[in-house]
Amino acid sequence: MRIVFCGVGALGSHALMLCRNLEAELRVIDFDRVESKNLAAQWYVKQSVGKHKAEAVRLQLANFYGVKAEGIAVRLAATNAAQLLAGCELAVDCFDNADSRIVLAEAARAGGVPLVHGALAGDGTFGLVRWDDRFVPDREDQPGQPTCEGGQHLPIIGMTAATLARAIADFVGSGLQRDYAVSLSGVAQT
Amino acid sequence: MTILNITYQGQSADYDLAMDYATSDGDIRRIAVEVVRSGGARGLHVPNLPTDAFTSYVVDRLRGPDGAQRIYLRPKVPFGA
Repeated sequence: MRIVFCGVGALGSHALMLCRNLEAELRVIDFDRVESKNLAAQWYVKQSVGKHKAEAVRLQLANFYGVKAEGIAVRLAATNAAQLLAGCELAVDCFDNADSRIVLAEAARAGGVPLVHGALAGDGTFGLVRWDDRFVPDREDQPGQPTCEGGQHLPIIGMTAATLARAIADFVGSGLQRDYAVSLSGVAQT
Repeated sequence: MTILNITYQGQSADYDLAMDYATSDGDIRRIAVEVVRSGGARGLHVPNLPTDAFTSYVVDRLRGPDGAQRIYLRPKVPFGA
């Protein structure tokens, strides 16, 4: 099975790291580059700063764990989404904006690729793992709303990433599609 | 009977809502404020909760894993990165 992770910021990078033992080929799509401020909340190391995130996680998986992955440093758009999802049997949405989530969802539905979404509240108190048939993207209250540049929300990021990784593992292992809500008081199947 | 799940400031709790599943989103938000103020949802008691605490919250209506009709009142989740 080939799994494509779309967006490897705080949530996506940690979920990817937790999926490193799956019997699956991993593809990563993210156009962004690692900045030093990302080290507080995202699964990157000092040596990654300046690299494309897709390439940085590919290198970290290879160098730390001997896991091969494919890194594609492009922005997913309507014009290339079908090509980027080609050959994948699962897509994982960890984008940080509703527009990209919608483009990905439309491409996944058109291509018949199962899609699971991971999403976080801006205040670090809540996360969702939800399969596409029950997911509606939320928009920011205002553009550029601050999130987690200082790493203060790392606990909920970790909890949600772990829950997302478990949902992915359940799908890879047995085709299950389970939704979860993640709060600081626990994880609940929904 | 519908179960209303409220998540506020990282805490989540269920409340047995003696209202129709189709109750409007606005009414759900107003009811939730009163429930949390009164401590009606176990583990979620904020006596001084502002009236507009849930204004930007999302109301999801889903059938739970147990088959029951559930309404989730939750913060927006626009972010992944």
